[in-house]
Amino acid sequence: MKTPILAFTLSMIMCLGARAELKWEQTAIELHPGPNDKQAVGHFKYENTGKTPVHFKSVHASCGCTTAQTQKDIVPPGDKGEITATFNIGDRTGTQVKTVTVETDEAPNQKTVLTLKAEIPQQLEITPNFVFWKQGDKPDTKTINVKVGKDFTVKHIKVTSSTADFQTKVEEAGSGQFKIDVKPQDTNKITASMLTIQPGDSQKVFYATARITNAPAAPVAPVGPTAPARPSAPTGQTH
Amino acid sequence: MKFVLARQAAVVAALALLPAASEAIYFRDKISWRSAIPPSEMVTVEQTRGWGDTAIWVDARPDEEFASDHVPGAISLNEDRWNELLPQFLTVWAPGKKIIVYCSSLSCNASREVARRLRKEAQLSDVFVLEGGWEAWLKKNR
Repeated sequence: MKTPILAFTLSMIMCLGARAELKWEQTAIELHPGPNDKQAVGHFKYENTGKTPVHFKSVHASCGCTTAQTQKDIVPPGDKGEITATFNIGDRTGTQVKTVTVETDEAPNQKTVLTLKAEIPQQLEITPNFVFWKQGDKPDTKTINVKVGKDFTVKHIKVTSSTADFQTKVEEAGSGQFKIDVKPQDTNKITASMLTIQPGDSQKVFYATARITNAPAAPVAPVGPTAPARPSAPTGQTH
Repeated sequence: MKFVLARQAAVVAALALLPAASEAIYFRDKISWRSAIPPSEMVTVEQTRGWGDTAIWVDARPDEEFASDHVPGAISLNEDRWNELLPQFLTVWAPGKKIIVYCSSLSCNASREVARRLRKEAQLSDVFVLEGGWEAWLKKNR
């Protein structure tokens, strides 16, 4: 009775061995791009350890922000190569996990998922990055908290309002934290201002928005044939 | 005979469990690429029909997909140009407005991420993710 079990197990192992022709050096890569990097690139290396050529049927990235390129469509036996996955960082922050799904002709519906994990460093964490008052509200001060990222040193920050409608004041809160007090001149006028936040020794700038708002008035229609253009950015004098 | 069959089944099941257990141990610290989202923050196209002007549609797809076509009245807000687009979105937002974020199957997790950042960074409430995304809206409206 032991013979059928042994035969079954051996056949399963042999089947698995025969299928695994494309051997990946690693299917998960963790990257740590610098604060000014625009892209994070992962190289997924493979080798055809089988006895027949392997054809790439499809290579799909999990989102539009990631592209994947194969060096060749057919990998002869014994040949090596790599799939290059390029993740465009944009304005993303924190931990980003993107995948690339590779389909070959090794076996029907066999897919390999390659994972690219990128830790995007965040120099400043700004919370909230939006403060608002309703029209006619008491013009109280509202506070924006700024926390310096763990891998960065920022001794001071500079805040500039794009209009004179809001006053800002920066205070050090210790332990790599700052407080930005924002106060409107008055709340009778509908207005918006972009607050530019610049760490002392850095060229990089961060943004927050202050706004006096009224009752809902956005021209939004969920259904219909027309497509209004994007709203324009808030305008105003720069100090 | 029954005992032998049961024993064989147990052996095969144990063999199958070995790689599963190994994978579970190996990937225990790895995060899921698709973040969980509470059902209360998901909405269907049908649910949004009655919202009319009380809702703002946010397109989380890349610029070129937005330029190609989008929900009428939608505002582009993607993470490629978050710092530039967020202030533009905030000039349109008003208290009491619901926000419906959508992406497409090609832009994967984008709507979830944009919704999460609107809640966390801008501290806005009533932020929803459209179930089925752009493709679901297209199917119901065109």
